[in-house]
Amino acid sequence: MYRRDFLRKSFLYGAAAGLGASTLGPLTPALAGLRPQTTKGNFDLVAVRGTDLVIMFERAMQEMGGMSQWVKPGQTVVVKPNIGWDVIPERAANTNPELVGAVVRHCLKAGASRVTVFDHTCDNWQRSYENSGIEKAARDAGARLVPGNFERNYRNITIPGAVRLKEAKVHEQILDNDVFINVPVLKHHSSTNVTIAMKNLMGIVWDRRYWHRNDLHQCIADFCLFRKPDLNIVDAMLVMTQNGPRGTSTADLVRKNSLLVSSDIVAVDAASTLIFGEQPANIGHLAIAERMNIGNLDLSAMNIQRVFM
Amino acid sequence: MQLSHLKKIRIGVSLLIFVLLLLFFLNIHGRMIDPLAEFFLRLQFFPSILRFTVITLAVSSLGFILVLVLTFLFGRVYCSSICPLGTLQDMIIATGKRFKPKKKRRFIYTSHKKLILRYSVLAATLLFWIFGSLFLLNLLDPYSNFGKISVTLIQPVFSMLNNSLVWLLQSFDVYAVSPILAQSLPADVVAISLGIFGVIAIMSLWRGRLFCNSLCPVGSVLGLVSDRALYRIAFDDSACNFCGKCERVCKAECLDSRNKIVDHGRCISCFNCFDSCANNGLYYANAYVSAKKDTVQQQNQLHKEKRSFFLTLFAGLLSIPVLKRYAAAQPADTSLPGLIPTGTSLPVTPPGSVGHDHFTGKCIACYLCVGACPTNVIVPSFFDYGLEGFMQPKLDYHKSFCNFDCVRCTEVCPTGAIKKLDRETKHITQVGIARFMYESCIVTIDRTDCGACSEHCPTKAVKMVPYNGLWLPEMEPDLCIGCGACEYACPTEPYKAIYVESSRKHKFATPIEDDEGPRDHDLDEFPF
Repeated sequence: MYRRDFLRKSFLYGAAAGLGASTLGPLTPALAGLRPQTTKGNFDLVAVRGTDLVIMFERAMQEMGGMSQWVKPGQTVVVKPNIGWDVIPERAANTNPELVGAVVRHCLKAGASRVTVFDHTCDNWQRSYENSGIEKAARDAGARLVPGNFERNYRNITIPGAVRLKEAKVHEQILDNDVFINVPVLKHHSSTNVTIAMKNLMGIVWDRRYWHRNDLHQCIADFCLFRKPDLNIVDAMLVMTQNGPRGTSTADLVRKNSLLVSSDIVAVDAASTLIFGEQPANIGHLAIAERMNIGNLDLSAMNIQRVFM
Repeated sequence: MQLSHLKKIRIGVSLLIFVLLLLFFLNIHGRMIDPLAEFFLRLQFFPSILRFTVITLAVSSLGFILVLVLTFLFGRVYCSSICPLGTLQDMIIATGKRFKPKKKRRFIYTSHKKLILRYSVLAATLLFWIFGSLFLLNLLDPYSNFGKISVTLIQPVFSMLNNSLVWLLQSFDVYAVSPILAQSLPADVVAISLGIFGVIAIMSLWRGRLFCNSLCPVGSVLGLVSDRALYRIAFDDSACNFCGKCERVCKAECLDSRNKIVDHGRCISCFNCFDSCANNGLYYANAYVSAKKDTVQQQNQLHKEKRSFFLTLFAGLLSIPVLKRYAAAQPADTSLPGLIPTGTSLPVTPPGSVGHDHFTGKCIACYLCVGACPTNVIVPSFFDYGLEGFMQPKLDYHKSFCNFDCVRCTEVCPTGAIKKLDRETKHITQVGIARFMYESCIVTIDRTDCGACSEHCPTKAVKMVPYNGLWLPEMEPDLCIGCGACEYACPTEPYKAIYVESSRKHKFATPIEDDEGPRDHDLDEFPF
């Protein structure tokens, strides 16, 4: 072996080792400063099994220490469910409307001055809002619905540190409200295997096609550098395990009867991915998010409360 | 009843029908509006005839017979009350009067020499129709033109006003009014609509209801009937003092006050003459039993010239070239995604339209479906169908796609060009089939995941299969209904890497079975 080769290889191995160490997370004290901020609430993550989603949500928030951990009196809140499709609630292609209603009620009870609900839908927005049942449930709970399908409501932002998604147009409700609560539904996804909390953020930007053209997984991770939701509430009751994200029939669904709550978007996605039946490290944007220190992929070191009802 | 009241009734009825139909075209619905609007839609003359040729055994197809009966009884009340374009012309005439000097506001009787032109146009229109093209009908039919004007000229203004209000309210943090998704209309179609509106406006400002008595095919057909109508307007020799007021208010220019002749073929039964006459010098009576026979003999002279002139026009129309687009063959450039030109060779017709031949043969190009479509995927075309389908709508997947559960266009179509579909039939109606361009896809060229096409596909005819650690689209054509969700979602530029090729005749896709329901959970503990 020539000396030049030896030097080059040892440099590469060293770099690889350093990269490997960084992915090990809290075990490397030197990199601890780069870790994401500690999570809010009594636990890093609360997972509830049960049969009634609204009661499960009440319990999860009770375990977490209440919505007042995130919503202070007088603050404004934006709740972002998945309302992507013009599909009825029984098909579970959108977030369960009763869960959205319960989230809105908890925010108002915690003293929120206003709760806004919206999504940049894939199907026609008015039909999706209506037929998902979310428009009615959210309104009945006291929220207001605003449209997400008009470019006028989006503002340009830049994302420092992003690899591919260096700028984007983000919905003004995300930019103008105090608290951002993400309420996705766990589903299979044709291009990203799963869609959960991180993928749900594609519904707050204007140009999704840019993401598809420029390394979808990297863009999903990049966006979290701009704004992570304060709280993520994942509906994993009826889980679409095939033909996602729109689904073709109720035969695509499996009753997983679960609900997950965490302020760590990567951790909640990792736990949901395991419930879905996949390995988190195999999901492109989760692996990238872990590398970019957006959140914790390793659940073993986390303070998780598991509740069976 | 005093005859002068007839004008007031006519104005009331015509405005009611006009407003109802305009609301329907502007997609403003209500429990009170819809049934009434649909009823008056069924009375529109040529749409009703076209509908009769599609759905013969239905009460809803018999509107034109009711119109013919009404015309035979009372003259062309259709033209003065039921036809929305007629009312639009009245509005233009009334507005124009405000800006004209008093003397120029008058109408003057014109003799009937223009009949040659009138019936030649009708003959040409019908000949085109017989030979399979609705070209002239779609260009001249008053209902069709009212629709074109409503959807391509009034609707954009309405949307703009609505959205201005929405944005204003939003700036005060009020979200009570919903914005309307902007319709992207082809410039050539808007230009044609503007041209049609301009011609009709100029004709009506110049000579009242000239359009109705020269170019309008409905006016020409009904004119033949109203000539022999049961109830006709006639002069009362004993009461008329030749003042000429009636002639000056006659929009159809069919009253000759000097010779006391009424040309009933051109009279649109607007009843302005009754209102103008101080002496009750005109009356409205059963012409077949009336003792005061008017100049029936004179009327009969009018018919002789009617059937002579169309041959010259027919020769002319044969020379109009049929324009169709053909995609030019180019060598495939695969250096970047989306460089291979794609696009359907024939326009995609709406679900329920059976296929090209049925659709182009029955569509009157009124654009009711264009205005009603919630996703704006139905857009007016120009020459995309060639001459036989001039200006008829098509599905355009560049700006939108057809909503899986929606059957709105099949519900509103007045002619039966788009037949009514229930949701289940719509779910399997294959208006085209998607074609995947392997050499143009982001996954194969850039080697990154994308899958936007499969994501949007409602039947999973586009599914994703493993490909070098990524997911690659793959087509199952039997499941595809050609809704265009994949084509719309595909992010490649300038050309799409997946596109829908139109089916000349619509077929049926394999239905999706949905009797299993959700499976029960397969885990007892959390897997973490």
